[in-house]
Amino acid sequence: METGGFHGYRKLPNTTAGLKLSVSDMNMRQQVASSDHSAATGEENECTVREQDRFMPIANVIRIMRKILPPHAKISDDAKETIQECVSEYISFITGEANERCQREQRKTITAEDVLWAMSKLGFDDYIEPLTMYLHRYRELEGDRTSMRGEPLGKRTVEYATLGVATAFVPPPYHHHNGYFGAAMPMGTYVREAPPNTASSHHHHHHHHHHARGISNAHEPNARSI
Amino acid sequence: MDHQGHSQNPSMGVVGSGAQLAYGSNPYQPGQITGPPGSVVTSVGTIQSTPAGAQLGQHQLAYQHIHQQQQHQLQQQLQQFWSNQYQEIEKVTDFKNHSLPLARIKKIMKADEDVRMISAEAPVIFARACEMFILELTLRSWNHTEENKRRTLQKNDIAAAITRTDIFDFLVDIVPREDLKDEVLASIPRGTMPVAGPADALPYCYMPPQHASQVGAAGVIMGKPVMDPNMYAQQSHPYMAPQMWPQPPDQRQSSPEH
Repeated sequence: METGGFHGYRKLPNTTAGLKLSVSDMNMRQQVASSDHSAATGEENECTVREQDRFMPIANVIRIMRKILPPHAKISDDAKETIQECVSEYISFITGEANERCQREQRKTITAEDVLWAMSKLGFDDYIEPLTMYLHRYRELEGDRTSMRGEPLGKRTVEYATLGVATAFVPPPYHHHNGYFGAAMPMGTYVREAPPNTASSHHHHHHHHHHARGISNAHEPNARSI
Repeated sequence: MDHQGHSQNPSMGVVGSGAQLAYGSNPYQPGQITGPPGSVVTSVGTIQSTPAGAQLGQHQLAYQHIHQQQQHQLQQQLQQFWSNQYQEIEKVTDFKNHSLPLARIKKIMKADEDVRMISAEAPVIFARACEMFILELTLRSWNHTEENKRRTLQKNDIAAAITRTDIFDFLVDIVPREDLKDEVLASIPRGTMPVAGPADALPYCYMPPQHASQVGAAGVIMGKPVMDPNMYAQQSHPYMAPQMWPQPPDQRQSSPEH
């Protein structure tokens, strides 16, 4: 099912796909190098989304599961794989809602606030309070460390400007957990358009769920068609 | 089809009708779904379809009591879990070692072609959110493992947790029908849990996937068009349960188009 282009966005013709992929890859690496301090050294530079990349590493998932299970508990292999699939579905579900909000407000970058807003809208209310605190602490600690690393002065200036711009935004009706309303950040520090990938079926699958949920919430008209 | 049922009140009438349909479409449950005996309804204070007969009634009552205790224990565990999460996060100082790799989170986010740019903070928030999601889903799944007196968490335990938790509706398609069916069959004899309320009985009555036409017929008989978006949206307001059962037909219809 084809999604109508929002604000005139169109898929690039195949002849320029290679160039776009290349640009995207470079931006991905810059993104990882500049802002992701825990970049995986083993990450491979492949254009297509591999099967393995569709899920969280199973060792990480099992470690987290064991934190809440009693010591004698065992986990079957199919349960491990099912949780992996559930996590990816969760990320896509929340991301889809957050991205739709971005598009409605004609912004290009999904922010942490958009993610929190989407979780609240989709019923994950228990997650909001701990995650809001997590975000605040992240900004307190990582922000200070970033400045001590001698970030370019230009970036610092832009950040101040961003804060100024953010205060001008009118808070959305249901946005009551966060005081900060994220505006667009400098483009150079973020990943740009995604290359085509084999996960499109998953994409459409996700939209179906979102559409059903959108009807039940019925707060705003859902312009997106499945 | 036999449509006999009690009409003592609208809600019970609907449930009774559904129970009859479910019985007709599922020969493996003979005698399990009948008109609710007054004594059981009075004692547990919920609407449910349970078999007649004092012996069966007592058995069901005992089982439900144990089940309610387990659910109460689960609620306490969840409250403790969220309280612990908040306290842990208050003390977090290390944002370099995330429990889940940020690059992988970005790739999954970018799998949606509509997603263009992602701020650096979004994957950081997602890493923590996914950890909480895994913990909550695992805790709810383990509750089902213990109910069945096992020590190995299995896929059908996850299916049970998904079925019982409204915010996990979006995961219904990840678990196979067999696991969902097991959960539905296991839940019918216990009737409706107080926490879920009488509305929760509806999805169980309409779950049997091999009889999709029955679901359609039931919708017509009830006088409500199943796929009417407006009606669907209205019904969804008081409770989340109805979203569960209309989804399979949608999935089947939309699959060939992609």
